[in-house]
Amino acid sequence: MEGHDDDVSMEDAVVEPMPRRTKGRGGSGRLRSQSKTLDHPNNPFFLDANEPPSQGYAPQRSIEGWIVLITGIHEEAQEDHILNAFGYYGEIKNLHMNLDRRTGFAKGNALIEYETFEEADAAISAMNGTKLFGRTILVNSAFMTGPFGSNSRRSPQLNRSRSPRMKY
Amino acid sequence: MAGEEENSEFYLRYYVGHKGKFGHEFLEFEFRPDGKLRYANNSNYKNDTIIRKEVYVTPAVVRECRRIISESEILKEDDVNWPEPDRVGRQELEIVMGNEHISFTTSKIGSLVDVQSSKDPEGLRIFYYLVQDLKCFVFSLISLHFKIKPI
Repeated sequence: MEGHDDDVSMEDAVVEPMPRRTKGRGGSGRLRSQSKTLDHPNNPFFLDANEPPSQGYAPQRSIEGWIVLITGIHEEAQEDHILNAFGYYGEIKNLHMNLDRRTGFAKGNALIEYETFEEADAAISAMNGTKLFGRTILVNSAFMTGPFGSNSRRSPQLNRSRSPRMKY
Repeated sequence: MAGEEENSEFYLRYYVGHKGKFGHEFLEFEFRPDGKLRYANNSNYKNDTIIRKEVYVTPAVVRECRRIISESEILKEDDVNWPEPDRVGRQELEIVMGNEHISFTTSKIGSLVDVQSSKDPEGLRIFYYLVQDLKCFVFSLISLHFKIKPI
């Protein structure tokens, strides 16, 4: 049993990638971390000074509020539909709903910003798994305070934020 | 074990850049398997400085990325017949999803005219649109989280 678990652990996979098919001029040698620009010896990597220490799976506050990701949006949906459906839980400070560059229809996701954690959490709790234009939408926090998959135990609650002991 | 896509490993990196009058100007971002999104953008034009950002995204964000990639069917393509990087610039797209790994390199693509006149217009068109969709998604994430305006 444990042996099998090891095989699928993400950490292991990073160190020793499982055999996989590689295509392209880049070849397999350049796999990850070979970035020319992201890894820099004297990269003062920003990490916001006021960012709290990583605690696994808690939603992460953004500079001015809490960002919520909505996926599964019908391609014909408009920004207004999202504003109407989600405005009930709090004022939407920001909305990004990108279009598919090829078709010009909605790409299927939207990012919205609420000022408070409670508003974001209420929207997630109420709207996740509901239908919009006959399609099930998923509603989740977009950012979190730390990495996932790095511990052998996965938090099963990742996909839905629970009422947290978080201060906001 | 088919259908395990959701939980299988995921890595994405995109780079576009060139070296010229204003030095090395580039944009690069990556999603790492643990959810870390890293972003770097350097333009020396008018003494602009490099911007680097890192943030952890939730599995929901990664799932959406995977969906965008899967639906594009980029993993079925190959860069053998795509234009080689040149003085104008270079693009790199690297994706690991499950047991597929692509590491594509090509020149900058100015517009669909470049796509149309290439030796693999169908494949390059997929790349061209996918890159734009991914960039849009990342720019939205970065600008909302950090309140900066990418590019």
